[in-house]
Amino acid sequence: MKIQIGGKTIKYNSGRLISAIIGFVILSQVGEIMAGVLVAPTIVFLSDKNRTGRMTIQNPTNTPKEVFVGISFGLPQSDSLGNVTLVLQDSGVTDPRSAMNWVKAFPRKVIIPPNGSQIVRLAANPPPNLPDGEYWAQIVVRSQEGELTVPQANEAEKITTRLNMVMQTAIRLKYRTGKLVSELALTKATARLMNSKVLVMVDLANNGNVSYVGKMKCRLLDIDKKEISSNQVDLAVYRSLKRKIELDTEKGRVPYRVELTISNEGRNDIPPEAMIPGNKIEYAMKVE
Amino acid sequence: MHKLILIALRIGIVAVFFLIISSPKQAISQDVASAQATAVVQSAITVTATQSLSFGDVLTGVPKAISWNNDDSCAIFVITGEGGAGINLSLILPEYLSLADGSDRLSVVFRVNDAAVDTSNTATPSSMTAGDGWINQNPYILPSGAVIGSPGNNTKIYLGGKVVPSGNQKAGNYSGDIVLNVSYNGS
Repeated sequence: MKIQIGGKTIKYNSGRLISAIIGFVILSQVGEIMAGVLVAPTIVFLSDKNRTGRMTIQNPTNTPKEVFVGISFGLPQSDSLGNVTLVLQDSGVTDPRSAMNWVKAFPRKVIIPPNGSQIVRLAANPPPNLPDGEYWAQIVVRSQEGELTVPQANEAEKITTRLNMVMQTAIRLKYRTGKLVSELALTKATARLMNSKVLVMVDLANNGNVSYVGKMKCRLLDIDKKEISSNQVDLAVYRSLKRKIELDTEKGRVPYRVELTISNEGRNDIPPEAMIPGNKIEYAMKVE
Repeated sequence: MHKLILIALRIGIVAVFFLIISSPKQAISQDVASAQATAVVQSAITVTATQSLSFGDVLTGVPKAISWNNDDSCAIFVITGEGGAGINLSLILPEYLSLADGSDRLSVVFRVNDAAVDTSNTATPSSMTAGDGWINQNPYILPSGAVIGSPGNNTKIYLGGKVVPSGNQKAGNYSGDIVLNVSYNGS
């Protein structure tokens, strides 16, 4: 959508704009925010043509915030149940797709004044002859109170405690070079009826040289091909991944078939110019 | 007929008046029409702590527990972002709190049901039920299926815990860190 203000055309994504407004309203209504910061964007893209980038850190509170910015590595990993976790590594990273060692952030430590913001610049200095593809790192923004104080005990003989609340937000950084290929393969998919829900398990393999980013959508149909329910999840496949989706059933209607679609469409959090178009997967399976 | 002419004249005067008022603006807008700019609203994520885990005064040799549904004393984190997006949540929790000079430690325990993840946007710790998200969760293994709540575009984490002072625990002010890690898992 576009709006015009004073002759300037401002393009905006309505979903993101609404999210930002609601988020701001929520934060403004929280009476006493002790610590925390806003980080934008949620993915930073660098490339061989543009090796520098930036992100914004805002302090939405009325007290100064001490913020540390670090570079780590970590990819989404799944277990046999389709649960996805992210484990950050600060050292000992051997993954050839890691950009952790050659991406730097400036500044790395800053105190942001109340309701202030700070631009953090990111610079990539990749090794020569880097093979085509995408390289990854995590930008970790760590925030805590600007002034740490321990409460005084009411009486000399008492014990008091203070738990400092520290927040770490991990933002994805992707560095791209050369010819980029986004291709995903579906290696296995099952749909099982369990406890009044249909559990869809999907095994995926990344056959490209960039992360496959998109949405996985499932529709549960009855024997007359009429929809009972649907669900979708955001998807990011770096190597291989098992994902699950739960679908609601309806009393009196027998779940018969699940239609699965995976594509790059519908990702409002990624600018269109940063999306590497990939293949679309459509698959149907009977409910066991 | 005479009245009609008068009405038409009045309308004409009003129209000319508005034309005079609006003409400078038109001129300005024509001047800047060729200087268009574009801006894209970026997606953002905000992680805040709105309340710290508070044990209050602790007595020597007397353990003290705070449950996740204690409105006044549990820890509360708020994550704001894109509604419906999957997130990874993990807590790094201390095993003990320390005096500033390091001369003594106070054991702190986080039990398997000391956390809750609230995606309802409306519940409070004490009013939260299972339908609002995940209750009685292990804080060391937060739900892998957590999402940013929608509507509301936020998710809250409530955390309780327990301090276990020894019989000869030194009096004083003990402190430690609770670290919450948050990331989107679909990017």
